Amino acid sequence: MECDRSMDNKTMQSASEDHNLQWNQWQLLDSILPTGGFAHSYGLEAAVQTRLVSDPDTLETHITHILENTGSLLLPYVYKATISPNMETWFELDRTLNATLTNEKSRRASIAQGSALLRVGASVFTEIPFLKNMRELALKSDKIKVHHAPVFGVICGVLGFGHGFSQRAYMFLTLRDMISASTRLNLVGPMGGAALHHRVAKSAEGLVKRWMDRPVEEACQTGPLLDVVQGCHGYLFTRLFCS
Amino acid sequence: MESGLAVVDKVGGRSTLTRCFAKYPLKLISPTKVGSCKSDVVWVYMVSFGGGMVSGDHVSCAMSVGDDCTAVLTTQASTKVYRAVDSKSSDQSLQVRVGCNALVAVLPHPVTCFATAKYKQKQVFSVSRSSSLVVVDWVTSGRYECGEKWAFNSYNSTNHIISNEDQQPLLLDSLVLEQGSSMKGTYGMQDYQVIAMIILLGHKFEHVQNEIQEKVKKKMSEEFGMRLTSKRQHDRDMKPDLTYGRSRPELIASCSTFGPKDAGLVIRVAATTTGLVYKFLKEHLASLEPLLGASPYY
Repeated sequence: MECDRSMDNKTMQSASEDHNLQWNQWQLLDSILPTGGFAHSYGLEAAVQTRLVSDPDTLETHITHILENTGSLLLPYVYKATISPNMETWFELDRTLNATLTNEKSRRASIAQGSALLRVGASVFTEIPFLKNMRELALKSDKIKVHHAPVFGVICGVLGFGHGFSQRAYMFLTLRDMISASTRLNLVGPMGGAALHHRVAKSAEGLVKRWMDRPVEEACQTGPLLDVVQGCHGYLFTRLFCS
Repeated sequence: MESGLAVVDKVGGRSTLTRCFAKYPLKLISPTKVGSCKSDVVWVYMVSFGGGMVSGDHVSCAMSVGDDCTAVLTTQASTKVYRAVDSKSSDQSLQVRVGCNALVAVLPHPVTCFATAKYKQKQVFSVSRSSSLVVVDWVTSGRYECGEKWAFNSYNSTNHIISNEDQQPLLLDSLVLEQGSSMKGTYGMQDYQVIAMIILLGHKFEHVQNEIQEKVKKKMSEEFGMRLTSKRQHDRDMKPDLTYGRSRPELIASCSTFGPKDAGLVIRVAATTTGLVYKFLKEHLASLEPLLGASPYY
């Protein structure tokens, strides 16, 4: 019947849009996307040299703590940017996060990753001219720092991903990059890293549930020792990572 | 309604406490003979009845320091926060307005939360481009010598620095340590019993900032450099662990600049004892003595 065929067409169209969305989601999370995440160890390198991380157990604990701190400090920015992906919100979030990231190393890492992600986003997702506009404005103004979490949230927002996805994905990227850093620091082998990733994912989901969907006013640090240690990165005698 | 208010202004060319009010459970004391008579500084001590904060106490204090004045806000001893009764939190808020070319130093002793305590503090500083501000904010794990280590239920400390000129945030820092996080037991602090943050902002502290950055870099670089020597020995001995047989540093410190033109400096410290942090503060803030009239930590 006409009505049924129209419903079937709508369902098919909706499924097709979901499928297209998935291709974009996979590409955004793929480590092959050139966003420079692998230049940063999230303080892991300094943690090894201060002897906070000394074996597989302390490595797993440390990674979980970094994820918790990411949740408490950065998920509110990802959340807000995803639900309001507009220029005004982006400026506000970028400015607030710049004052919140008091750790110089993580502030610089955030700006480096955010700038790289915006550049890639504007070049790859050309069907969204808004990203190109964001990039052009950022290049003209020194007031916009282009921090990572808000840019990531905006990209997810304009590509039609929900805020549940964007916040989980942000935690996933952090976990992914830390596992990568762990293998390059020879703390764990590639297979061990993959197993560790899977084990931590369960805790990561718990952390997302705990810290998601909060207002930016509630953003806070929960790992003060991590902050002290990450700040020591610049004092390391030898180092592989930028931060 | 504020629990306390202090206003410092220039009277006859000298920084003078022109208004001072406090009500229970807060007391404000301003001794006149803290520093030498030549120093132009007002010292104000925040004191609590009973030596600490009781579950359910709410204290809010405002301070205004006029143009060209210097004021120090401190405590007599560590702020003890007693155990929470019926889950009631104790909270403290401080709002400080720092005038043009004025200098404000907030130099308390640490907060010590007893087991099951719940504590929240918020400090907001509004500053001008020519203001100078030094703030020390620190917390211990509790009565750790009695075995109470990070046994409080929650500790929440927020510090905001906002520009007077355009209301833009210069620093927004919020630390929340709460039971129920993944950092079970010790909030991820491992063997460290004290966490401290020192903020230095303003032209009057440029010299101190540079000095501290150099000293911290030197000390921590030596610490990491020693690890390299140990590594060579470790590789020779073929030991399996990653620590190369060395134990963790008793004190870790790092510095970060913040704000427009990197005018501000945040120093973060973690240490195994309160004594080590007192020593750190005494050493690195000693050069503030001429500005404050007396040594802040002794």
